Parts: sequence; C-alpha cells; structure tokens
Amino acid sequence: MSVTEADPVAAAAPTRPAVLRVLSAVWRSYAFRRILKAVLTVYLVATFTFFLVRLLPGNPVEVYINTLMQQNGMSYDQAANMAKALYSFDPGKPLVVQYLDYLNGLLHGDLGNSIGSPGTTVGSILVAYLPWTLFSVGIALIISFCLGILLGMAMAYRRNGVIDHVLSVIGSLLHSIPNYLLAIMIVVFLGIQLNLFDVSQMRGAYSPGVTPEFSADFFSDVMYHAGLPITTYVLTTIGSWMLVMKSSTVETLGEDYVTVAKARGLRDRRIATAYVGRNAVLPLFSQLAIAAGFVVGGSILIEQVFQYQGIGYLLFRAVNDRDYPLMQGIFLVITIAVVLANLVADLLYGRLDPRIRIGGGER
Amino acid sequence: MTDEPVLAVRDLVVEYRTPAGPVRAVRGASFDLYEGESLALVGESGCGKTTLGLALLRLLPRLGSTPHGEVRYRRADGSTVDLLTMRKEQLRRFRWHEAAMVFQGAMNALNPVLRVQDQMYDTIRAHRSMSASAARKRCHEVLDMVRLEPRRVMPSYPHELSGGMRQRVLIAMALLLSPRVLVLDEPTTALDILTQRSIVDVLQELRRELGFAMVFVTHDLALAAELADRVATMYAGRIVELGDSRDVFAAPRHPYTAGLIRAVPPAVGEATEISSIPGGPPSLAALPPGCPFSVRCGLSAEVGDGDGPAGVCVQADPELTRTGERHEVACHYSDRVEFTREVVVDGV
Repeated sequence: MSVTEADPVAAAAPTRPAVLRVLSAVWRSYAFRRILKAVLTVYLVATFTFFLVRLLPGNPVEVYINTLMQQNGMSYDQAANMAKALYSFDPGKPLVVQYLDYLNGLLHGDLGNSIGSPGTTVGSILVAYLPWTLFSVGIALIISFCLGILLGMAMAYRRNGVIDHVLSVIGSLLHSIPNYLLAIMIVVFLGIQLNLFDVSQMRGAYSPGVTPEFSADFFSDVMYHAGLPITTYVLTTIGSWMLVMKSSTVETLGEDYVTVAKARGLRDRRIATAYVGRNAVLPLFSQLAIAAGFVVGGSILIEQVFQYQGIGYLLFRAVNDRDYPLMQGIFLVITIAVVLANLVADLLYGRLDPRIRIGGGER
Repeated sequence: MTDEPVLAVRDLVVEYRTPAGPVRAVRGASFDLYEGESLALVGESGCGKTTLGLALLRLLPRLGSTPHGEVRYRRADGSTVDLLTMRKEQLRRFRWHEAAMVFQGAMNALNPVLRVQDQMYDTIRAHRSMSASAARKRCHEVLDMVRLEPRRVMPSYPHELSGGMRQRVLIAMALLLSPRVLVLDEPTTALDILTQRSIVDVLQELRRELGFAMVFVTHDLALAAELADRVATMYAGRIVELGDSRDVFAAPRHPYTAGLIRAVPPAVGEATEISSIPGGPPSLAALPPGCPFSVRCGLSAEVGDGDGPAGVCVQADPELTRTGERHEVACHYSDRVEFTREVVVDGV
C-alpha cells in the first residue's frame, strides 16, 4: 500500500517530463469524456423540451389562422401561408420534420422566431433579457455565498454562543421562507404599508428614458431596480449557506491538522483561512456550481413579483403565450448553463482538492 | 548542563466537561524533565497519557481544562515561566519554538490541501522572519536529518506520501525551530515493524546530535525501554511509578507496571510466560475507592487473604513515594512486589 502511494512521487523526480506528459494526457482524456457527457446532456434536454413543449394544450398558430379566416374571410390555406411566413413555424408539418428543422437550426445557431412577438428572433430576445438576470442573480449569489460562509465560520468558531444561537434561528427561518412569499411580503409591508419605497417606480431593469451606457448614473439606476430582487435572493439563500458552512467548519475544527497547526504556533488568521476555511469550504463547491447554473434561470416568481425584466419574467410570458420557440430557447440556455457550471466545477474541483487530481483520471 | 529541570510539572489536573459533569483525566501528575533527558509515559489506552502530553503544550480540546497545577518551563537563559498562566500570544510564540510536538503520522496531522513545503514555510514564518532561500535551506536540513529526500517530499501533498514518510515529515517539522523539548505522541503506532525500526533509529540519532529533551507517550514498552532514560507508568490519570528505565524494567515496584511487563513477550533471550492483567481500566467518571488499581491487583488480593483487596488499599489512594534513589512508587505494598518471569522455553 505504502509503496503504491509513494509511487507517483518516486517516479516524478527523475523522469519529470515523461510523467507529466502521461498525466496530462490522462487528465485531458478525463476532461474530454466529461465534455462529451455534457454535450450529450444538452442534446437530450433539447430534444425532451422540444417534444414536451408541444404536448402543452393550445397552439397559438392555429388560433391565429382561425382569427385570420374569420376576420379577413381567407381560406385555410391562405391564412396558413400567411401565418407560416410570419412565424416560420408550420403546425401542419410532421413532428419529426419539425424536430429535424429545429436541430438543423440549432447547429447553425438559429433558435427560430418568437411567436409572441412576431418578427423578432428568439436569439435577440434572449440577448435583451439574459444580462439582467445574470447581473442580479449573479451578484446575489456572490453576496449570499461569501456572507454565508463568513457567518457560518463565525457560528462554528463561537458555537453555543449568542451569535451561533441567534444566527441559527434566523438562518433556518430564512431558509424555510419561499422566495416569492418574501418578495410579496417586501412589496406589501415595506413598499405599500410602511411606504419605505415606491414599488411601482422600482419595476423593470432600469427606469424608462434612461439610456444604457457606462456611467455612474446608469449603474446606480440599475442597482436601484435590482436592489429588491437581489435582497430577496440573498435573504432566501443565505440561511442554507450559513448552516451548511457551520456544520462543515465544526467538522474541520475537529481535524487533527488544525490541532497540529495550533501546536506549530501559527497565527489564528492563517489557521482560519488556509487550514480551517479552505478545507471546510470544499464540500460546498458542488452546491455552488449547481446554484451558479441556476443563476441563468433566474426566478420566475421573484422577477414576476418585482416585474424585473429577466429570463424568469420572460419564461412566464412565453409559457402564457405558448411561444414554443422562445420556451425552447430559454430552456436550452438554462440547460447549457447548468451543465456548463457542473462541468467547470468538476474540472475545477481537482484544482481545489489535490487528493482528487490524480484519482480523477482513473475514475 | 544544570541540575534544574527544563520542564517541571507539579500536581497537574486535567478535566473534561461531559454531560454527566466534569471528569478528571489526569489527577495530579508531577514529574521533572531534565535537559537532554528522555521520559516515556506508558500505560493502557484511556489512562490519561495522551491527555497529559497534550496538556504540556496546552493543546487540550475545547472541553478540556486544567483547573489545577503548574507546568513550569525553564528557558535557556534560566528564567522560568508557567505555561498554564501564559497569555495567548505568548503561548503561540512558545509553541514549536521552545517545545514542539510530534503527532501520530497515521493521523490526519497534515493539512491535505497544502504542499509539505508550504506547511513547513508556514511554521517558520509564524515565528521568524527568514528569507525564502534561508527557509528553504532550513527545510532541506531537517528533512535530510530524518533521511528524506527534500526535493521529492517538499513539493508533495500529504496524501502522496506513505505513512512512514509522513511520520518523518512530522518529526522534521518539529525540528524546524530547534526546540529544547519535544513531546511525541505514539510516534510509531500504526506503522509496520520495519518503518517503526527506522523511525526509532532516526529519533535516537537526532537526540544524540541535537540534545533536546523529550517526553514520549506510548503503550509500546519495548520502545520505552529502548528510547527512554526514565519511565513513568500511568494508571487512571495518575503516575503510579516513576524511575530510571533500567530500574523500572528490571525491578518494577508497582504491581501494575509488573503486570504490564509480564504481558509483553521479550524480544530476545528465553521465552517466558505471558500473562495479562485481569479486568479492564476503571472508568474515570466512577473510580473505585482507595487505590484505583486495587480491584485488579493480585498483590492486594493476596495480602487481603482472598476477601478482596487489602483494607488499606480500599481506604486510601497511595501517594507517590520514594523507594530508591531515583525511583518513586504509589503502592501501599511496594516492598512486597516481586518480579520474576517464569521461563517457559530455554534459549530461543
């Protein structure tokens, strides 16, 4: 056992380049396999959403054709042709052909045209809405994760103290409140009853009349509008980060190497960061990756409550309008984001935890 | 060398808080450690020897405390200081610089996410301002001392090293700042025989060259006989016998020590009878009255004529008293302890 453990070290020194080459080849093939898996996942989800979306009751094109026939007295063929030209979507085509068209479009980066807002491509709509979600949820995730980790460590260091008890109660309370409920509570109590801020003015991603540009004014306006969604995200997610980090830190504090670090006379700050924090945060990274993936999806309900124009808000509209191409586009983007985040996490985890670096290639 | 001990432990008590109330794991231990001397703490699992070792550097876990006693350390300049009353920053500087500890390599004693070299640099940087190249040189020196190849070990992560290599790294790390006292906690436990051998050789050699004093905690009597100048036997949180290792192993004066020695087969010479001590160590939360060993003690039963332990053994816990020039024992009938081993097979 001890011989095999010592092997990579023993072999590394004399023939470094050769060993490195072999190791990096293994690593590359591991990465390659992970990427292949990720691409397959995206394809499967794209296929599923394509068919599932079409199982939804109601079909906007049929409705539009019917309206044209009644109002303009057109024949079905005329109306259908007009609709086809407008929507680039033909419900009369067999599903398989539609599916192949869709895949072909995807390969060319074409997500099709929106049905809800005729004449605009799904791609351009996504480009308009996605940044706001990325911005608000991304910032919220960073704040929530960093703050949660710091508070969790503070709780673990002072466990059974006042801070620990108070934060534990607050943490589990926040963790158990659904985010839309908190959003509604903020609007109703803080916004309307206490009148702390003007909820209707805070709607949207930025104030009407303000032009997007790189300036302090625009940035502060954006922050003004994103403030409430960010607050809601942070408050509803920080509790779980805090509690998970606390238990992980308590476990790490009991590790021998922390006692040894103390015996070595290291300064408290060095022990807290490189010995306790670094090891305690490792198990949280996979959760962070999943959370980062869902950043793109935003939150339908929060964005709806605050009327914040992000992807969640868009998805809600797309479902209501039966906007198939738009829904497919949104689901595809969310899927790619989640898969990509997990892929990055998997590849990055080896960087963070050296014990996985070598084992990863073999697994 | 002077006559003053470098480390003087007086009536040290260690308590653990438990849901059922405080439990004393060490109940008034006293001993001196002289410069360059090696003292072994031996005893069964749970007798408080590791707790005592940790208490010497004030490394007890959160629930442990030292309500009583003192651990007096004498610096090289002759001034003394009580470790138990040291302030936080003072204690931090004291640790490793004056007294270092070698932990079990089998334990998770090294941070798994930092390279060996970074952990060694951390240790140096916490105590001295040293240039990177000087620190590197010092690391090379101590790794050479434990017969490891610095170029291979320094850039490795702990999981890339074998158990024996990790143990050597821990010893090397303890030597980084040339401490005057070294506390070793089961330094060879969980290693195979050959690795144990090489660790013992390294320790012998280092002690000869560097002349530090050491306290080592072990349940391995053979190791104690080989490495220790003096031996302290612990039972139920107390030192029950303390003396030169030659005296203690040749003629133990405490029935417990005698029992321990009888339980180990001799490595050389005639094969002798091996016998165990009946019963198990008492719970520290509920000690029997009087001498805690009396319930398992054959001698006491003999004196008491078969009606259980002798009266005095149940009434009073014996104090550690001097029986020889450098030999102390805590037993009411220490003069009646006979130590002979019956030879089973001749000249193996």
